[in-house]
Amino acid sequence: MTEPAADAEGFDPTLLAVLSSRMSAILREMTNTVVRTSRSSVIKTSRDFSCGIVTYDHRQISCESGLPVHLAALSLTTRPISKFFDDVKEGDAYVNNCSYTGGTHHADIALCVPVFCEGEPLFWTVVRAHHADIGAPEPTTYLPYARTIYEEGLHFPCVRFQEHYEDKPDLIRMCRMQIRVADVWYGDYRAQVGACRTAERRLKELVTKYGLATVKAFIEAWIAYGERRMIAAIRALPAGTWSYETRHDPVPTVADEGVPVRATLTVDPATAMITVDVRDNMDCVPGGINQSETCATAGCLIGVYNNLDPTIPHNEGSASRVEILLRDGCVVGRPTYPVGTSVATTNVNDRLSTAVSGCFTQMGRPHGRAEAGYSQTSGLAVISGLDPRSDRPEPYINQFMLGLSGGAGVDGHDGWVTHGAPCDGGMLRIDPIETVESMYPVLIEERRLSSDTLGCGEWDGAPATQGSYRPLDHDVTVNYASDGDMFASKGALGGSDGAPAINAKRHSDGTVHTLPSFHEEICGPDEAICYRSNAGGGYGDPRARNPARVAATVNRGWLSHEQAQTVYAVALVRAANGVDFEVDEAATAELRGQPV
Amino acid sequence: MTYAVCIDTGGTFTDCVVATGDNLRIFKTASTPPDFDRGFMNALALAAEDAGLGLDRFLAEVDVIIHGTTASTNALIEGKTARVGLIVNAGHPDILTLRDAPEKRSFDWHLDYPEPFVARNLTVEVGGRFDSSGRELEPLNEADVRAAADHFRRMETEAIAVCLLWSIIDGAHERRVAEILRDELPDLPVTLSHELNPVSREYRRAISASINASLAPVISRYVSSIEDSLREAGYRNDLLIANCVGGMMQAAEIVERPIYSVMSGPTLAPVAARHLTDEPDVIVIDMGGTTLDVSAIRDREIVVSPEAMLTRYDLLGLPKVDVRSVGAGGGSIAWVDPGGLLHVGPQSAGAQPGPACYGAGGTEATVTDANVVLGIIDPDFFLGGRIRLDRAAAKAAVEAVGARLGTGLLETAHAIHAASNHTMIAAIEDITVGEGLDPRECYLVAGGGATAAHLCEMADILGITRTMIPRFVAGLSAFGGLVSEFRSEAVATLAMTGERFDADAVNRVLTELTTKGAAFLERAGVATEDRRYDHLFSARYRFQSWEIDVPFSPGPGGLGADDVADLVSDFHAIHQRVYTIHNPEESVEFTAWKVRAVGAGRYSADREVPSPVVPAGAVVPKGRREVYRHEVGAAALLPVFDADRLGPGMHIDGPAIAEAELTTILLRSGWVADIDAHGNFLLTKDKA
Repeated sequence: MTEPAADAEGFDPTLLAVLSSRMSAILREMTNTVVRTSRSSVIKTSRDFSCGIVTYDHRQISCESGLPVHLAALSLTTRPISKFFDDVKEGDAYVNNCSYTGGTHHADIALCVPVFCEGEPLFWTVVRAHHADIGAPEPTTYLPYARTIYEEGLHFPCVRFQEHYEDKPDLIRMCRMQIRVADVWYGDYRAQVGACRTAERRLKELVTKYGLATVKAFIEAWIAYGERRMIAAIRALPAGTWSYETRHDPVPTVADEGVPVRATLTVDPATAMITVDVRDNMDCVPGGINQSETCATAGCLIGVYNNLDPTIPHNEGSASRVEILLRDGCVVGRPTYPVGTSVATTNVNDRLSTAVSGCFTQMGRPHGRAEAGYSQTSGLAVISGLDPRSDRPEPYINQFMLGLSGGAGVDGHDGWVTHGAPCDGGMLRIDPIETVESMYPVLIEERRLSSDTLGCGEWDGAPATQGSYRPLDHDVTVNYASDGDMFASKGALGGSDGAPAINAKRHSDGTVHTLPSFHEEICGPDEAICYRSNAGGGYGDPRARNPARVAATVNRGWLSHEQAQTVYAVALVRAANGVDFEVDEAATAELRGQPV
Repeated sequence: MTYAVCIDTGGTFTDCVVATGDNLRIFKTASTPPDFDRGFMNALALAAEDAGLGLDRFLAEVDVIIHGTTASTNALIEGKTARVGLIVNAGHPDILTLRDAPEKRSFDWHLDYPEPFVARNLTVEVGGRFDSSGRELEPLNEADVRAAADHFRRMETEAIAVCLLWSIIDGAHERRVAEILRDELPDLPVTLSHELNPVSREYRRAISASINASLAPVISRYVSSIEDSLREAGYRNDLLIANCVGGMMQAAEIVERPIYSVMSGPTLAPVAARHLTDEPDVIVIDMGGTTLDVSAIRDREIVVSPEAMLTRYDLLGLPKVDVRSVGAGGGSIAWVDPGGLLHVGPQSAGAQPGPACYGAGGTEATVTDANVVLGIIDPDFFLGGRIRLDRAAAKAAVEAVGARLGTGLLETAHAIHAASNHTMIAAIEDITVGEGLDPRECYLVAGGGATAAHLCEMADILGITRTMIPRFVAGLSAFGGLVSEFRSEAVATLAMTGERFDADAVNRVLTELTTKGAAFLERAGVATEDRRYDHLFSARYRFQSWEIDVPFSPGPGGLGADDVADLVSDFHAIHQRVYTIHNPEESVEFTAWKVRAVGAGRYSADREVPSPVVPAGAVVPKGRREVYRHEVGAAALLPVFDADRLGPGMHIDGPAIAEAELTTILLRSGWVADIDAHGNFLLTKDKA
């Protein structure tokens, strides 16, 4: 959370700052607990989890401590608990992973713990984590071809997993029976329990220290402060209505032409409101790429938040200035039961937030940004198999994060290299090679930033990451759902597109063949899976880029000196050390048609 | 009579504390960047003069010199480290660019991706690969290594770091690379990641090896120049250097592992504070000319950050005493932005030209100038009157800021004073509130000559009611050096589980590590009875990535087969305490064993440090002067005490000023000061 600049309607501004940092500290401690105690690499090292605190009446306090898609609409996840239960009590913990009751998608288990202070329920502490497995028919947590919820595995539509601070053994037994590699699942679940309980203890201490009335007043002041900051930000935007459309790659039999996603955004500085209308989109598709309501709402908010001052607290107050118009039965709206939403958090969600973000780009400079790379290549696959390294082969399953997609160029800055898809918002980590190789019987042959892939612009997109991996002494099953292989990230305002993603297999004879984008592949020890993520798009005309920056990009190995000349109109010559390049000022001026 | 000397070289000032049998003296002189060794020798000359001896006679009687130095920190900040070449596995050239993906704020895209510590065009890939079990999948490609040497020659590389995957399981490839480099580039220092920092996760090893290599020539030159100067001046005894883990090492060992010199100096402040007070939770602030360093003690232990950052985006790769710096010091410059908002720092006037009131060419208003204008600092008694400050120059500089703000002189001076307090408060909150520690429940120990003028106001805002201004506040870190211990930690990886526990193997490892530690203490000349060995094991549940360190005592005969049950239950208990969860049914994996060798220094542990000699006398002010008091909006006449004449048992009430040669204490109303047996000022907020 950020430092409030002004007093918050009578609430002591110093105390507002102190208490908001206390909340941030609690969220950091939750995050730390999950990282330190969880088991699957998707949670402990990739950090595909998020921590949040919501008021007991379901108002968001922050969404800074994790992935935007997990947190932007977090209160939708706790809200149904109040609908289903009239006996919520201290010591309870609820699991929600169901898209039809406020979940994001089935693999994201949200653990929600009510916090009672002096007998009064005041907060929910929530950890939403993407599990390595959720008991689906296929060994993966992303099922693009699953048409209905019945093909997705376990759903817990707000189920009480703990009472009196104890797990319910029957529910744990049920999960352990159906989820692959149950020990890892249970360790991850317990890490969530630890984080939620730690936060519960800290919040109680906070109330003991400052008093119930002060903490309650703080919540109101904090939310009001978020709203005031948002009002000021909206008033600084031009008035008008803008639209933008992007298109998710085709998914055979699910969406053969791909999924076009349109957003229309209206800014009304007078009322200080932004309206996002995404109703004009196709109906739900027969597969797993439909949005859940929580994801659709989050996607719209991400598109807005990405284009405003990041120091605005992203709480109930700021969200209240964004009106989101969703449609029932729409691919980016409220899904119609029992349609599939297995892949709701990533693919079409990224297109949705990109479409909203693109509306800002239509405002012209300095607004908006190019498109960031799309995701879920085979470099982010769910891998599974039998680990041959112990006496008795042991099953394993996990999503690893080898290479994230590249960030988008914005006015004044190049794209962030480890951006990942818009749903991740640069909050994911990549797996250390040694962590992956020690946990799973695979060898990561290569991971490098990929030359001549970045979207060129006055402000470049970030390059793609490419590489390859192979199983050691066994066969690995690889599952992925890769968007951006065909419709890659677009440049903006004269910038060029990022290079598309690639998924391929190297066979034992050394030949390499492209693999389908939404796919399960079995790979043997004399073969390898090759991946390249989608690079980020460029912002503005590359010929306006500072030539020294172009030379630096070439020396970094991200760009060939030929491209420097043809795309950026920058002439380079070898430096005295015979390795680096430097700008030939005169030749560049000539190329750019400027006086020498 | 023999002397023990500690010299702490900061960016602006060089502090020197000298202990003899019955007395402790402190000296301060300007640092002399970039040749810090001159300031070092100047400080010794001051000490010799005070002892009434020539430098050679004085040094002949010094039996140990302990040194905290900003040399490496300075080189890192100013980018004056050596040009490093990095050797990595084929296919993995971007370890330092990708890191683990650097941490950023959500929804923030208007920022530049951080450059890698070693540029990509100085990173070279070589063929050869081990897997995680230590199986060699591909032999080292020696031709690649020779080509790398060629490349480094052309790039005028000055030091080399080598980080190969799984070198912690089998270091053969890294060692062979070093051999080839010795042949090809015999003059370049080479750091092998598995030797420096044998931890899993390649980025951590690569960054620490690269930092170490980048500092190798810098620290080697620096230590040589100090040793040469000392030898010329006739010194024959030990030179010890403070390290980043809160201990000291022989100079030769810091040259071998220069990364340990990062933040040497600031890490001594909490060491000093731990010696000065028995309070469990302490915040330590040390304000110099340019920065404020904040550190903490929790449950009597100096807080160490296992994931210490070198910069915002890069890890150090090794644990380090958690010291956080912010650009706020006596020399911090006040400026007004185009929107009319006042800022103080992070730019600093440093020692040269220094604040405007130094009259050495500085014209910009600094915090010190503001304090002169406010009447807190007496221009005629700065450094005990050795430097006469120019009040008119301070006034002119502050007035210039006031003209831009549209405020009067005193109001402007107070705004500068207060703005710098708030910058410092934010840094204190970062290490307390930010880590879940309530500052109001902490004791505060001040360091730095300028701090005492700000302390009460900061404490009031933070809600802290008890603080200490040590007698040697102006040289807190230097004092810390004097009371520090020898410290070295040796780690060995040895994996086993609670069910398959091999006590003999563990004992063999512990013996090896203890032998290493004993050798370290032997080299340091620590007597056997002054040696201590702390034992820790790292353990986790299966598939966790992060271990917890659990202390244990193996006993004289080592661990027995029956001891494992205790180790396992200690692990479960600590896991429960730290994370609120544990699973007694689960197997515990032991991963590493550590022995921390600790040797008492001359004044460490419970040994009494000599106290200053304070003449007895009555508590009478030496005078009165006008000091601006914001709480009443006007200047008021405050009593001024000579702090050097306030001895044990004496007491003064605020509002008042107590000044000594190197510090000025502003005691606000509502605060009282009691002088303890060692001459330290214990400040307490009056409950009434």
